Amino acid sequence: MFSHLAVASSLAIGDMLFYAICFIILMWLIKLVAWKPINQMMQDRADKISNDIDSAEKSRDDAAKLAKQRQDALANSRQEATGIVDSAKKQGQQQRDGILAQAQTDAQALKDNAKKDIEQERQDALSSVRNDVADLSIEIASKIIQKELNADDQKALIDSYIEGLGK
Amino acid sequence: MGDPSSVATFQFGGLTFNAANIYSGLIAFVLVFLFVFALSRHITMKPGKGQNILEWLIDFTNGILKGSIPGNEAGAFGLYGFTLFLFLFISNQLGLFLQIAVGGKDFVRSPTSDPIVTMTFSLATLMIAQFAGVMKFGWKKHFSGYLQPFVFWLPISIFEEFTNFLTLGLRIFGVIFSGEMLLKIIGGLAFSHGIATMIVAVPLELVWQAFSAFLGAIQAYVFVTLSAVYISKKLEIGD
Repeated sequence: MFSHLAVASSLAIGDMLFYAICFIILMWLIKLVAWKPINQMMQDRADKISNDIDSAEKSRDDAAKLAKQRQDALANSRQEATGIVDSAKKQGQQQRDGILAQAQTDAQALKDNAKKDIEQERQDALSSVRNDVADLSIEIASKIIQKELNADDQKALIDSYIEGLGK
Repeated sequence: MGDPSSVATFQFGGLTFNAANIYSGLIAFVLVFLFVFALSRHITMKPGKGQNILEWLIDFTNGILKGSIPGNEAGAFGLYGFTLFLFLFISNQLGLFLQIAVGGKDFVRSPTSDPIVTMTFSLATLMIAQFAGVMKFGWKKHFSGYLQPFVFWLPISIFEEFTNFLTLGLRIFGVIFSGEMLLKIIGGLAFSHGIATMIVAVPLELVWQAFSAFLGAIQAYVFVTLSAVYISKKLEIGD
């Protein structure tokens, strides 16, 4: 082995230079082809993962906040809805009562008016009938009188009337 | 293999090169690059199959480094650890399925079965450790670390650096070299006495290959772990 070393040592410088230069070239090529881009990518990936973790944390917080908001809004709107329904019911009741009362008074007024009108009508009819009766009786009387009253009779009537005046 | 006479050499620019190291080293480098290139084609936020494998590997090597180097300083050595681990792993496995010898001379085998190759990487690691120490503490404070716990410790500190360099390189070399040696011996046995030895040798070769694959993975892991330990030592002297 030592003889091998001894002989090899006479060859050493050339081989050593060859290996050193080739190794440096290989290192440079690997750096160019793989080392730099892969390390860059690994770094990018690490950054991306940490960013993703941060943003996931943030979006989880946001989601929790939103859920709470929604919960609140839901409870609020339920309360509001109950309020609206209640007030609507109350209003409806009021309106119903009002309409009913109005209808009753209206009906009463209508009835009263109708009664009054009927009474009036009756009164009018009665009075007109009464007038008609008077007229009729006068006419009848006048007709009867006219028929029986000829010139002699008229003269006697006038006379009797004048006689009456003289008294 | 392993025998100096089995090594083909050639000259270039006044330097002597070992043909087996050059060819197998090139194959390993290209394989590592193709592996990484193929897996890193579609890099997306949601990782696909290839990207998952690559990210797992990066996490794995970064985990080795972070296990020894404290704080954020491990990040600076991530690329080195990743490339080193992939290259050593593929180098260790290369010789298990691909060994080419022409005319008694090796041309392709595990690059890490040559001590020069492994010691190149151990030297690189220790130089990076020194460099990191100087960068962090400055020249004075960094080298004053050799005088701790007291001044007479200096020779031992220097000797320790040297032994670190040797053991880091020779450990992986020894394991891979011996693994390939045994594979060759079993392979030679298979063809020595016809069909009878082949029946015996095939399961033996299978078992040893599986064990070597395991050892190769362990050695790549150990090399990167020890590199991280040596680097972290230089980053902690002032504390």
